[in-house]
Amino acid sequence: MTEIAGKITDTDVHCAPASIETLFPFLDGYWRSYVTDANLKLSPTFGGAYPPGAPTSAKPEARAAGTFPPDNVEALRKQLFDTAGPSRAILNCTTSFDVSRNPYYETALTRAVNDWLRTEWLDRDDRLRASMVVPTTDVDAAVAEIERLGPDRRFVQVLLPVRGQDVRFGNKRFHPLLAAAARHDLVVGLHAWGKVASSPSPTGFLHTYLEDYLSNTQIVQAHVVSLIVEGVFIRFPALKICLAECGFSWLPSLLWRLDKEWRAVWREVPWLKEPPETYLYRHFRATTEPAHLPPGDEQLSQLLEMMRIPEFVMYASDYPHDHGDAAGRLLAALGEEDRARVLSGNAADFYR
Amino acid sequence: MRIVVAKVSEFAPGERRIVQVGGRSIGVFRVGERFYALNNHCPHQGGPLCLGRTAPTATSTGPGEFGVGDDLFLACPWHGWEYDITTGQSYLGPGEKPVRGYGVAVTGGENLTTEADLRFPDRIPGPYVAETFDVHVEEDYVVVDTTTRQPAK
Amino acid sequence: MTTAQIRQRTAVLDADIHPAIPAARLASLLAEPWRTRYQTIGTRVAPPPAFYPRVRNGGMRLDAYPANGIPGSDLKLLRDQVLDAYGIGYGVLIPLQSHTFGAEQPEYAQALCHALNEAIRQDFLDPEPRLVSSLCVPHESPELAVAEIERYAGDPRFVQVLFPGGAQASLGHQKYLPIYRAAAAAGLPVAVHTGGAEHHRADGWPSFYLEHHCWFGNVMALAATSLVCEGVFEQVPDLQVVLVEGGISWAAPLMWSMDAGWSRLRQDVPMLRRAPSEYFREHIWFSTQPIEEPADPKHLAMALAQTGMADRVLFATDYPHWDFDSPDTALRALPKDLRERIMSENAYRLYHLERP
Repeated sequence: MTEIAGKITDTDVHCAPASIETLFPFLDGYWRSYVTDANLKLSPTFGGAYPPGAPTSAKPEARAAGTFPPDNVEALRKQLFDTAGPSRAILNCTTSFDVSRNPYYETALTRAVNDWLRTEWLDRDDRLRASMVVPTTDVDAAVAEIERLGPDRRFVQVLLPVRGQDVRFGNKRFHPLLAAAARHDLVVGLHAWGKVASSPSPTGFLHTYLEDYLSNTQIVQAHVVSLIVEGVFIRFPALKICLAECGFSWLPSLLWRLDKEWRAVWREVPWLKEPPETYLYRHFRATTEPAHLPPGDEQLSQLLEMMRIPEFVMYASDYPHDHGDAAGRLLAALGEEDRARVLSGNAADFYR
Repeated sequence: MRIVVAKVSEFAPGERRIVQVGGRSIGVFRVGERFYALNNHCPHQGGPLCLGRTAPTATSTGPGEFGVGDDLFLACPWHGWEYDITTGQSYLGPGEKPVRGYGVAVTGGENLTTEADLRFPDRIPGPYVAETFDVHVEEDYVVVDTTTRQPAK
Repeated sequence: MTTAQIRQRTAVLDADIHPAIPAARLASLLAEPWRTRYQTIGTRVAPPPAFYPRVRNGGMRLDAYPANGIPGSDLKLLRDQVLDAYGIGYGVLIPLQSHTFGAEQPEYAQALCHALNEAIRQDFLDPEPRLVSSLCVPHESPELAVAEIERYAGDPRFVQVLFPGGAQASLGHQKYLPIYRAAAAAGLPVAVHTGGAEHHRADGWPSFYLEHHCWFGNVMALAATSLVCEGVFEQVPDLQVVLVEGGISWAAPLMWSMDAGWSRLRQDVPMLRRAPSEYFREHIWFSTQPIEEPADPKHLAMALAQTGMADRVLFATDYPHWDFDSPDTALRALPKDLRERIMSENAYRLYHLERP
């Protein structure tokens, strides 16, 4: 994206259709009947990801507006753009994350979400960009959807849910999907939450929302390691990955472990030509929310020393979600130039 | 100190001997017609380096492509740090070209490897250099000379 | 070591040595019908090496294979390569076989774990006073696990109760409370070691051993999150948990994330009366191995200082595994006073052992 001087790019803003019927104009007769017959509703909690009563699910202004995330562009304008908002925002709609295991339904639903995004959002406000959603249970169909929408430059990202994949995203079975994204210069966004049929922990369902909420920061690390060691950046050198709503302060520890172990057992993955850290900083970025920061200025400056935050992190409000004010604290700790990179420069360089 | 390791005729190509020289354990390797000697001590965490496996580089042009090179490395039997038997230079994974100074902070800048030591431009040089010694054949015997050692880094 | 070096016994304590009990020896200690079952059918729960081939000397130090048998089965070699070689004051045995044995059919699991405990006692602890051990329990059958804890309560050489990182449920699950209560009542910490049944329901299956190994730190982070957030330390205030073989650098960022989440979601976890990091600091210990090796070595000390838990970190070698940390070199990046606490002081306090 071209950078607009002094302006903010918000890399994670949520929207969602008010009901499944909203998507009916974009579903054909068979799937409308399927939805009606199964009495399918959109989950009011997004499959447990955002229970409306949880303080993290909505900022005060979103709660005051009544419906969150916003279900129409006027509401988003009022709540986000009109209040010292960003000059540009990337819409992420996670409505299709918690669908059934039926790959054909997932294909139909993700396609409907994308057409709804195009018609009801992108056509109505040129400050908006969007992530397309694609079926993860049918890679061929995902590739077809990327080919269909790739030419529409307003889609800048392919959004994948981190939780509940049978194998990690670097696995060979996802390579055609990653290749298609790279071919169109689309970022692949790995976003928190995912398929509800699979538990948020490796060993099963948990008993508190807090644990589910925190699990995203662990699960995403599995995908980061997978994408690096499976060699996807050797096959697709243009591929870019955004880690959205999964935190980032876990990165130094992960890189230290991965680097040490790669030195020892690199022969298992001999295609890696550079140390893992090189691939990480070249191909990955993360959004600022939720920022899990250490207490105290001294430890925060240590974190800034241990990882390359000014080049790695991109600003996101994660509207309407509310993770507290840590991201503001991070921005305040950066110098002016670094802050500008996080607020807009990094996103401008990363997204087409 | 000069130590007689074995008769050349009793030291076949591909074999190795571990000899004790004072308090020091030294591994002597025969590769083809040439002999090499390294301190039996890995500079990484002190493993008995010369008890490790020798293996050529694994090669690959991309995910799922596997081959082996025609070089030979000695891998520490503990953590698998790999060394060029002839120079003691450590190497990490394969590399497109030498990434000079990678990991050098582990040992400090003064240990930067010189270009001449890097015999494998398609591997990433590591921060360590194992101690090596002169080995030569005198009459019919293999002799290690510890006075001409190249110190470990 | 090519020739066995013998160093004088020091106060250094190694919190993670893996003994291995050969199948024939184990069978000799099993009563019927379990002996026949073990010899004809074997076991049902697959350990990770069965599906992640350990592409580094089969997962072992290459010099740790005895002339006859499997690494960790030969007490003499264990003495030569660890206890004598480094002047180890005490070594804590962690028998990994129970990680999957403990998830077998309950009575069979109990029989297998008991046979392991007897083999450890007879073959390692009786002949070698420098060794103490973890107690193997059928962790998926808590009532039987409690019985095994009570059975060995009188033997001070069993210094902790062993639990796998890969259990059938999250470690904070209430079904495991009887085990935690029995351990605390016996004055024993629970040691959680990586391994056991491997599950990847949230994160997806990895393809490589490299990924499996790199996940060890995450396994520990998930175990600690579950124990803290499900309120186990409120329910069993005397419980101490040792997280073994996950390294240390993940701990501070985990505490930041737990506290940040909790500050927004306190109403979801009313059983927690304090910030998660407070429970973590008061109940969790961890072992150093595999020690992280950041490019800038001072970052290791920094990461440790950020936890505020330097008095709860234990040195471990992980002998005979390939990722063995040497007592001479593994912690060289840390300041000397810190190193001494980690190499000995902390562990003597945890295990109530007398310094030699």
